[in-house]
Amino acid sequence: MKQIKLGAICAAFMILLGSCSKNVSNPNDENEHEAINKIELVFAETGGATTSFVIEDPDGDGGNPPSRIDTIKINSNKQYNVSVKVYNIASGVIKEVSSAILEQATSHEFYFIPSGVSVTVQKTDKDKSGYPIGFSSTWQTSSAGTGSILFKLMHKTALKGPNDGPNVGHSDIQLNLPIIIK
Amino acid sequence: MTCLTIFQANAQKCDLVLSGVVMDASNNAPLEKAVVEIKELGIKFITDIEGHYHFYNLCKGSYTIVVNHLSCDSIKYKLTIQQNIIQNFKLPHAINELENVSVNAKRDLNVNSIKEVLSSKVVDATRGQSLGEVLSRANGVTVLQTGSTIFKPVIHGLHSQRVLLINNGVRLESQQWGSDHAPEIDPFIAEKFTVIKGAGALKYGNDAIAGAVLIEPKALPKQAQTNAEFNTGYFSNNRQYVVNGMIESSPVKFPELSYRVQATYKKGGNARTPNYWLHNTGLQEINYSGAVGLRKEKYNTELFVSSFNTDLGIFIGSHVGNLSDLQNAINASKPTQNIDAFSYAIGRPKQNVQHYTVKSKSQFYLPNNNKVNLLVSYQKNLRKEFDRAMLSNRPELDLDISTTMADVNFETAPTKKISSNIGIVGMLQENVWAGSRFFIPNFRTQNIAVYSIHNYNVNNWMFDAGARFDYRHLRTYRNKSDSITAANRTWGNASGTLGATYKITPNFKWLINGAYAWRAPQVNELYVNGLHHGTSSFEIGNRNLRSEKALNFSTQLKYQSDSSWQFDFSVYNNFITDFINLIPSVPATLTLRGAYPTFRYVQSNAVLRGIDFSVHKTLNRSFMAGAKTALLWAKNSDTKEWIIQMPSNRIEGDITYSFANKVLQNAAIELRYMHVMQQTRIPVSILDYIPPPNAYSLLNLDFSSDVLVGKKQISVGLTVVNLLNQTYRDYMNRFRYFNDEPGRSINLRIKLKL
Repeated sequence: MKQIKLGAICAAFMILLGSCSKNVSNPNDENEHEAINKIELVFAETGGATTSFVIEDPDGDGGNPPSRIDTIKINSNKQYNVSVKVYNIASGVIKEVSSAILEQATSHEFYFIPSGVSVTVQKTDKDKSGYPIGFSSTWQTSSAGTGSILFKLMHKTALKGPNDGPNVGHSDIQLNLPIIIK
Repeated sequence: MTCLTIFQANAQKCDLVLSGVVMDASNNAPLEKAVVEIKELGIKFITDIEGHYHFYNLCKGSYTIVVNHLSCDSIKYKLTIQQNIIQNFKLPHAINELENVSVNAKRDLNVNSIKEVLSSKVVDATRGQSLGEVLSRANGVTVLQTGSTIFKPVIHGLHSQRVLLINNGVRLESQQWGSDHAPEIDPFIAEKFTVIKGAGALKYGNDAIAGAVLIEPKALPKQAQTNAEFNTGYFSNNRQYVVNGMIESSPVKFPELSYRVQATYKKGGNARTPNYWLHNTGLQEINYSGAVGLRKEKYNTELFVSSFNTDLGIFIGSHVGNLSDLQNAINASKPTQNIDAFSYAIGRPKQNVQHYTVKSKSQFYLPNNNKVNLLVSYQKNLRKEFDRAMLSNRPELDLDISTTMADVNFETAPTKKISSNIGIVGMLQENVWAGSRFFIPNFRTQNIAVYSIHNYNVNNWMFDAGARFDYRHLRTYRNKSDSITAANRTWGNASGTLGATYKITPNFKWLINGAYAWRAPQVNELYVNGLHHGTSSFEIGNRNLRSEKALNFSTQLKYQSDSSWQFDFSVYNNFITDFINLIPSVPATLTLRGAYPTFRYVQSNAVLRGIDFSVHKTLNRSFMAGAKTALLWAKNSDTKEWIIQMPSNRIEGDITYSFANKVLQNAAIELRYMHVMQQTRIPVSILDYIPPPNAYSLLNLDFSSDVLVGKKQISVGLTVVNLLNQTYRDYMNRFRYFNDEPGRSINLRIKLKL
């Protein structure tokens, strides 16, 4: 009886030991981050040319710092229609994910806060509650100058209001973009 | 004047005390939960952990005392009381003596460790709370908190992989490295919680640098018994309710067989600080377990299955995006990213954890009371952690770890002068990640160990010596842009214990021990590379880490008198070589979300010293008072700096008034005062975002009683936690940057035995 019992338990143990899952030796790709790691700001000058400025961090959070942060170069005393496009780069494949954020528009908002330059930004799109989003905006420049734009995407589940300051919610994106107004 | 005389006369007549200890006749070990009953008065007392019982306000006369215990035969005793009497009872074993012997032998394994067994009063009073909260009632044990829902036990300043949690004989294997990963154990499963302070739990591992906790259910019923128990509780602060039911039986027709099934459901909503609600701090738990046992003359065997499932909300205001969000949160005196309202809903950010255990334990009886024990177990832990939703609903962290263990050991009869336990234990563990963000790699670990533990009893001395050798192999698998690489690491080392206890008098003992333990660096310490959202930090592992080695010396003086003083004075010194610690480093990690502080795993030598002291005095027949303190000094011996994130010194005082009448039996009212000092022992060179929170004091009030309704006994308890509704923050709560601790809570609990 004892031997039978011992034998049965040993057999069960061997089966358990043997049942190593194949997934262990076939891991997922660490460089695939389901996150925004490329941002494009498209500036369309009223009655003028359209220019894109790009920020990129292809290996995602950590690893190398963002590999590309373009300086925004626009003209003084002009009006621009600005649109924001966000992308995910995974294993070299670039996929636009703006629609995923747009679907959650009631809990997201972009901010563009100038410092050292004179530019007025007006968000033109609205979410279902009628609150601003910021995928589209108009920028009115005045005098020439050099400074920066604090560019933020705030995540504010259940917190979003009509006139939120830039510190409501938590940051999904926060970048200081250099800007030159000629 | 006349009234007073009469009162005094009466008082002299019915002022007698009967007290004593109930012991196991075979080895004089105190028996907890023995029921002592005075037949004529219909009053009962259930013995405490030290086997004590007492009856106050007795009149002179003859009484019939009946003493019962689950694992022993009951005895009946005639007693004439003329004055205060101390009467000890020795209970003979029930028919199945072998199993009782085995229970005692198991206890002997850590004979010369500093242990604290939580009293059944504390266990009852903490029903419905998490394991961490239950264990923090032991002196020298604190909790590392993540908000109001996640509690990790900290023994003498250390936690996570350095504290082994032994759940019903099986070492809990989950993602225990995470400081925000609470142990996946339902305290309702257990009846007995033993905290082993300091290294020494050799049988369960080489790596108990801080200690171990044994979480044990009561033995399965015997002799054609059927018992059922129902527990329920309500916690006013977060409107949490808990229900738990248990049924166990040993069928009349087949008394060798016994089984137990048990289940718990728990649901709580947002917690409330004295001034505001904390949004998304609800929790839900569904746990169940079953055990079936078979006892034969030559062997006994038990199969145990359990499932633990939890959803834990994480306070919305804590899930900051980057360093500037964190700074904004710290600067606000009250969280701004919050919805100040009650709700049971749990949204992102949250954790979902499932843990399954299957265990088979068998004992084979050999001639001369020797035994072979065989334990085989399988555990699976599925952990999903959800940040704020962004591009999909996938969890950011998704880890699946499975662990198979087998332990075979030979145990000599515990009655001999020398008793031994010699065993071999093997472990296989596999981890697979599948979240939308990399944190730790896939790995396979194999560990094989042999151990040999011996006790030697002579006169008033008890000696023990143990040695263990472990060999560990770790193979990690990584995939960077579809290029898969594997790496191997191996470790081998010995660990050991040596201890002695001297009985100065039967009530007074002195214990001394030394232990050497080591711990191989864990996968997260070696290879972590990713964002730890809960702490808004970026953690980077160090593949060159060596194992951590600890040399621990401790000594204890413990005195326990039946009716007056009890004290426990312990001193420990834990010298740790290559102590692995996560410390901030420059530069900050730049991401599109902003800058994060970077933390790296580094090694240094450390010394953790401390004193645990507790004292209790029975003042008179109704009042008992106690005090305790836990002091800790933790230093990095290379830099001579204090170690960050260590519990501060604390003192506690309590006073208990006990009474009994025809309706309320074993009734007690306890007032407990706790003072936690500000942590001033912090490193100068490692900057924290804010200084440690101020000292605070809390008052807790507890009432408990057994109420006899017809023939049924109902135990009720009412606890008021944070009686004065203090606003405070604790240094050991990682959310001290964001919010205050919960305010007052009125907790009701009811236990019904059928």
